[in-house]
Amino acid sequence: MKKSIFGLLVILSMIAVACGGSSLEGEEVFITGALVGNDAAGFQENFDSFTEETGIIVSFQGSDNFEQEIQIQMESGDTPDIALFPQPGGVVDAAQRGYLISLEDLGVDMDEYRASFSSYIVGLGEVDGAHYGGAHAFNLKSIVWYQPAEFEARGYSVPATWDEMIALADQIVAEGMNPFCFGMESEGASGWLATDWMEDIMLRTGEGTVTYDKWVSHEIPFNDPVVKNAATLLSQIMHTDGYVVGGTDAIVSTYFGNAQDPMFVKDANGNPGCFMHRQASFITSFWPDEVQSQAGVETTVFPFPAMDDGLPKAALGAGDMFAVYSDSDAVKEVVNYMLSPTFFEAAAQRPDNSRIYGHVDFDSSLYSKDITRTLADAITGALAENAFRFDASDLMPPEVGGGSFWKEMMNLAVNGPGYIDEALDNIEKSWP
Amino acid sequence: MNRNNQKWYDKPVTKLILVSIALTWIFPIFGFLLSSFRPPEAIKRASWWESIYTGEYWRELTLQNYSEVFFTENLDRSFYNSLAITIPSTIIPITIAAFAAYAFAFMEFKGKNFLFMMVVASMIIPLQMSLVPLIQLFKSGIELGGITLIPALDINGTFVATWFAHTGFGLPLATFLLRDFMMGLPKSVIESAKIDGASNMSTFFRLVVPLSISGIAAFATFQFLWVYNDFLVANVFLGVYKPENLVVTSHMSQIVVGLFGEAWHLRLSGAVISMIVPLIVFFSLQRFFIRGLIGGAVKG
Amino acid sequence: MKKYSQQEKLLNFGISFLALGAFPLVWFLSQAILFRELTDLISRNMLVVIGLLVGSSFVFLLFSGMERIIKLAPIERRDSLEAKMFAGPSLFMIFLFLFYPAIRTIYLSFKDRYGTSFVGFENYLWSFNDTEMLVTIRNQIIWLVFVVFFTLFFGLIVGWLTDRLNKGEAFFKSIVFMPMAISAVGASAIFKFIYEYRPPPLTQIGILNGIRVSTGEQCYNNRVIDGVVKGYDDASCNRAVGWLQQRDLSNFQIGQSLESASWLDNILVNLPLNTVLLLVIMIWAYTGFAAVVFSAGIKAIPADIMEAGQIDGASELKIFVSIVIPYIKSTIIVVGTYMVITVLKAFDIVYVTTRGDLETNLLAVKMLDEFSKYRNIGRSSTVAVLIFICVIPIIIGNTYREKENSSL
Repeated sequence: MKKSIFGLLVILSMIAVACGGSSLEGEEVFITGALVGNDAAGFQENFDSFTEETGIIVSFQGSDNFEQEIQIQMESGDTPDIALFPQPGGVVDAAQRGYLISLEDLGVDMDEYRASFSSYIVGLGEVDGAHYGGAHAFNLKSIVWYQPAEFEARGYSVPATWDEMIALADQIVAEGMNPFCFGMESEGASGWLATDWMEDIMLRTGEGTVTYDKWVSHEIPFNDPVVKNAATLLSQIMHTDGYVVGGTDAIVSTYFGNAQDPMFVKDANGNPGCFMHRQASFITSFWPDEVQSQAGVETTVFPFPAMDDGLPKAALGAGDMFAVYSDSDAVKEVVNYMLSPTFFEAAAQRPDNSRIYGHVDFDSSLYSKDITRTLADAITGALAENAFRFDASDLMPPEVGGGSFWKEMMNLAVNGPGYIDEALDNIEKSWP
Repeated sequence: MNRNNQKWYDKPVTKLILVSIALTWIFPIFGFLLSSFRPPEAIKRASWWESIYTGEYWRELTLQNYSEVFFTENLDRSFYNSLAITIPSTIIPITIAAFAAYAFAFMEFKGKNFLFMMVVASMIIPLQMSLVPLIQLFKSGIELGGITLIPALDINGTFVATWFAHTGFGLPLATFLLRDFMMGLPKSVIESAKIDGASNMSTFFRLVVPLSISGIAAFATFQFLWVYNDFLVANVFLGVYKPENLVVTSHMSQIVVGLFGEAWHLRLSGAVISMIVPLIVFFSLQRFFIRGLIGGAVKG
Repeated sequence: MKKYSQQEKLLNFGISFLALGAFPLVWFLSQAILFRELTDLISRNMLVVIGLLVGSSFVFLLFSGMERIIKLAPIERRDSLEAKMFAGPSLFMIFLFLFYPAIRTIYLSFKDRYGTSFVGFENYLWSFNDTEMLVTIRNQIIWLVFVVFFTLFFGLIVGWLTDRLNKGEAFFKSIVFMPMAISAVGASAIFKFIYEYRPPPLTQIGILNGIRVSTGEQCYNNRVIDGVVKGYDDASCNRAVGWLQQRDLSNFQIGQSLESASWLDNILVNLPLNTVLLLVIMIWAYTGFAAVVFSAGIKAIPADIMEAGQIDGASELKIFVSIVIPYIKSTIIVVGTYMVITVLKAFDIVYVTTRGDLETNLLAVKMLDEFSKYRNIGRSSTVAVLIFICVIPIIIGNTYREKENSSL
């Protein structure tokens, strides 16, 4: 509790400095973003104490169609004050087109900001030396969900390397079961789960993070042998007979939030539908209630297995970055508050929260679930070692990261391994 | 007309075909509606036909899905917003289209046929094509060679923008339908009124409008359903980032798509709730609606 | 014919311009600005009330002003000027909201992705070479053929057969017509529930998969039953399928039995099932419309013509083909035209179900995706122009027909 009181003091003093005592009572600040449902409610709750203190009314309206709507809003001149982009690429693009106000111009203390969110994260929102993206909450993607009890009962051990994972998968298939859950239907964003797999493999093959960064910035083409290798390994998971429960039908037609459901159901022989599910930390919010309360206990994670020898550990993650469209004292207040260590307290304490706040000084004991705390520590650790990489598809230009990459992964899933070359060539062609 | 007592030897076949078509058409809604009264876990556990077969369905019957959607915050406001957009967007095009229809039906002027063809042709312009130029027009007006033809209006994100957008998109059909309807009115009545020296304005108000009420009502029904069910125009012109600007369709999509997992129980009840107003309007004004459609199409 | 003086001609032109251009512009601008200013000043209730009052009556105020100006013109010209005044606001709005954007779009289709520099026909070349565009065009053609044909077909059947009933006509028509009142988003949700797929061992809750898995032997998805591994791809069982991903029939027994046979079989095998399942939604939604219009047309057939057919002892089918269809030919053409236009504009169904993934895209969806997803203004405009080009033959055909009719 000490920290929050301290935070309050910080805010109070900031208010005193920023507005010289003048009141912002009743000022309205509109925020939009891709958060919906419980996440949106949690985000809104973060502002309850803030509104009490400052009188600034903050209202958040999320939309599952945010990426398209914000484009139209920018075109129409009717923009919100702040937008929470799920992809830093979107922030950079909006900044380049001159729609955004930089954090520097808003009077954010950049040194403090860099110190509290790591320079890698801060750098993601940079355009021509100015910073337009404010860091927010993150999730960890380099994890595989499994149920220890089911592993133990069958004498399986947690795979530490890719080869071990494949061996385990083959064993499970040989025993008449399916090792993986895999579903990537996601309304207008179908296909991103496969891009996540590709990214995790890219981080662990070739020169690791070095190749990864080159791939993101298009220094190596999309049909480079390293990328092809990653696609081939992904195809091995997707297309080996019996690996994925339900086969390609499941991969393409199952909503990603429901993809893990087979793991929680037993078939006629008493076996779960699948044993491993590679999915980001936020997936717990999508589980049935009774399973969700046991997250980290009954169903927990092992790190995505290591691949090429000699590469340091790396972690893949993603998250939201906010961008600012209008400049007013009230907006400045909100921005400073959103970058303060106390910002995420209300949301973190919600039992349904699975989002991880990026601020290093955030009191992780506030998280409602142990597993969230563990994963938060993993992110902080990776960031400190510069081993954390942001989701590549979110950093690539939108026509690739939000377009051809997703689309071709869907095509790859249904067309089979023979399509790898064509898929990669098509993506390469679409790079602007 | 003695069509009703004709001896049609194949009447049972007629009925059989009709009943099977009707069943096919009602079937999709049937399973959907039934499922909306089942508890969330039951929807996932067993299919609706199985639960009816086992009798589970009747034991588990619940209104919980409906109350969950119905008592979400500010659903009433979204209903209000939908009506606040729909009603003006229905009335405004009628007033100006009725005059235009009158001109096209009963008056002579140069280029009339060409202009009417333009009205018909405009019906085929896809609405999506207009969206971007229109938001730019609403934002910064039109300038041609340094001359401001239309000044910057800056009305994006207000109700006004949606009213006008729907007016513009609804006008071709309104003008077309009403002109067609008026063409069907007895010409002699209008001509005799003119000979009596009545002005166009008074002929319009005293004779044509009262006689065209059912045509107007038909278009009104059509436009009402269209605007109420619209999703795209509201999203584009009415900055949906403001919670107070949500309409029913976008509100439902927030609840339904937005919630975690495939929340079928909310998707079902949400869709049913959003259908209530259109179905009430449709069934109570069906007569006009159909008559209007016929007026437009039968004569060709 | 009276000769007009130069001055009168000028006056006539001036008033015409006022009626068709300036005065509707005033109508539009003054309301837009008034409502904009009021938006922040008064409550939403008041705004709606004022919007209704002003929106419906402001035009009369302007008309009465215009009438005074028109009185300046020669008396025999007044009627025509008044007609222009009446038609003015409607024509102006149609031009501003539909034609102006269309012209701008055509202009933009020759520009690059940011709409800054000209690229000639590059975007058009792209649209006929890009594989995805070609698939989109193919889908659009499939939609046109199937949706237009089947709505007309079922519409005629329902329209004709309900006419033969003593009672219950309204009931049947209402049922078939009801989907018209449901939004495309709602209709898509209804059908998504039918096509729902869930991976095993979850139970299938979509009826299509429910029927599929309950016929034939049960699939065990690699389970060991009595020491034998039963693979999920065993040919002997029917496993659940993701319906909206089936780009052909190769995953079905019927498709496999057709393979490598005649050319007709080849076409059938390549039938894009997912596209067909999506266009079914549109047929479901629009058949009622066609049925109601046809039914009215059939009722308008004079009773003696029908009776003549009956006395001749012609069969029901023969009467339908040789009397009814020719009589309502023009109605069929009108409904057909309307359906063609509606299909070309079809957007919501694909947008809320597959978003064009796995070869289900349509032109209108592709257009919006190019704009907001790939942010290529040039290409987006090109797709829009393609939609427009598709309907040009229809306008020409209809114009021709209209001329033919009016010359009769």
